[in-house]
Amino acid sequence: MASGDNDVVGFEHRNESLMNCPSSQMNRNPLSDKFDGMAMSSISMYNKPSNTSDPFFGSGWDPIVSLSQSESLGCSSMVSHSEFANSQYPLLIENQGMSSTSHFSQYQSDPSFVELVPKLPGFGGGNLSEMVGPFSLPQCSQIANSRCPPNNALNSEVGNERTSKNSTRSLDEQQISEEGVVGASPNGKSRKRVPESNSPLRSFQNADEEPQKDPFLESCDVPKEQDGKKQKIEQNTGANPRGKQVAKQGKDSSQTGEAPKENYIHVRARRGQATNSHSLAERVRREKISERMRLLQELVPGCNKITGKAVMLDEIINYVQSLQQQVEFLTMKLATVNPELNLDLERILSKDILLSRGSAAVLGLGPGINSFHPFSSGTFPGTISGIPSTNPQFPSLPHQTVLDNELQNLFQRGFDSTSAMDCLGPNAGLLKSEL
Amino acid sequence: MSPMNNPQDLNPSSLKSRFTTRFLRALTKINGQKPISSSSPREMFQRYRRIKVAADKSMAWSVRSRRTWSRAMLWKLRSRYSCRQASSSRRSSVRTSTIIKSRQAKTSHEKENKNTTTGQDEVGFVVQADKLRKLVPGGEAMDLCNLLGETAHYIKCLTTQVQVMRKIAHFYSL
Repeated sequence: MASGDNDVVGFEHRNESLMNCPSSQMNRNPLSDKFDGMAMSSISMYNKPSNTSDPFFGSGWDPIVSLSQSESLGCSSMVSHSEFANSQYPLLIENQGMSSTSHFSQYQSDPSFVELVPKLPGFGGGNLSEMVGPFSLPQCSQIANSRCPPNNALNSEVGNERTSKNSTRSLDEQQISEEGVVGASPNGKSRKRVPESNSPLRSFQNADEEPQKDPFLESCDVPKEQDGKKQKIEQNTGANPRGKQVAKQGKDSSQTGEAPKENYIHVRARRGQATNSHSLAERVRREKISERMRLLQELVPGCNKITGKAVMLDEIINYVQSLQQQVEFLTMKLATVNPELNLDLERILSKDILLSRGSAAVLGLGPGINSFHPFSSGTFPGTISGIPSTNPQFPSLPHQTVLDNELQNLFQRGFDSTSAMDCLGPNAGLLKSEL
Repeated sequence: MSPMNNPQDLNPSSLKSRFTTRFLRALTKINGQKPISSSSPREMFQRYRRIKVAADKSMAWSVRSRRTWSRAMLWKLRSRYSCRQASSSRRSSVRTSTIIKSRQAKTSHEKENKNTTTGQDEVGFVVQADKLRKLVPGGEAMDLCNLLGETAHYIKCLTTQVQVMRKIAHFYSL
């Protein structure tokens, strides 16, 4: 690594001397803190010519892309930057077959760099004004933007940022640029922009993308995403999806965990699935629905083993019905119970209600029912006879007959808690589980 | 069922505490209005209805207007109240009935739209979804996705309501 470091540092020196950067070294650059990761990754890319674990090193584009990446890092003078970066592309095209080491040797010739700088005045000229921005990363994209006229359809700078990456990828393999941006993505500043730019990025991906690109997308888009999604490849369906992808940016998706941070959430087409906007929207909806069903599964007791939406929905319906029945029953109870309360007790009651634990709730049903009997034996015979007769008068009772039987059973059987539970029938299990 | 979290309950702005205070207030008001010495069925029924309205109202007010179901419930309560109050005057009742009808028409129209746009996903669940829509207040106007979210919140509020009322009844009977 030490020898490679020297090469890299020398390389950086050359870059920055060309760029008229104030600092001679990457690390001292005030902006380099953000792109330290990128620098390190680019350095790692430089230093692994013999490393077989980096498959993308076999391509000739890697150093050049990383070069453009590193150029974008912390360079104040954008003019030379853009031109320099632009100058690399013809080099890239010529040197496709060359190995990375040969690229190093090529880059190490300063005079060639200096010569190349003024050669392409018109390349990035149109984008120079855009390049002076908070992010130096976008500048590379601006360069590529000019080279890819269809990319200019995207007006946002963020979009341009990624389109440039795409164009570089179209010129060379993507992994290096991905690696370069990977280093940038963990940065707090670029993190917010990265996911936004990813969606137009995806739209320009070529059909021959390799799965290795996915780690970049993953890390750039949502570093928290699981590894299982690494196999997804977004298919490129041509020029059309650009507009659709941009439109899709407004859609909600439950995939990413950064939803609160972004204006929109990205939708990614899975491998082998259609990518037209309708099916993707359908998929998003289905995922939302399944997510809500999972939430409901946690709320409704005893539904952990149920798989299948229909059965789950039935359970949910039953549970809501039983809850409503319980509320009805309790309001009846409250209506019949004679409250010997004054206002002071209200405060005490509220505190007790809020503070008491679940065991009180367990007792609540039993003793509450039991206490009916000793409470006012005088009034209850009246109420017992009164309530069944008044039952037909309860138009608001949704389950009148059920409540009828329940009440009658409860009052007539002496409020034994077990019998009360039996009387409640199918709701007994739910009540017990609820308690 | 998850046990109650005391620190959460003591939070004065939690759903449970909000509902409890409101409901207790309403209950004491109802209890103070009429002594319950008379146990005629009619008065019992009236009390029952008032307590039910109080429970629904306090629950919906605890949620304010953040949820569709609470908004629908509040609207229903208000319209019923205004209907009852304006029962003597035909104009307002006609107005409210027309409002209700237009709203129903709108919701059914929306439901039709939603059904057409749902596509193949909802074919198997239309029956259950309709049942759920009837159960959850304001559910007619929602698509399945929102309906499920509202159902989750509604279940949570219902369980809170049941817990609180159960304890109140327990304390009443002590």
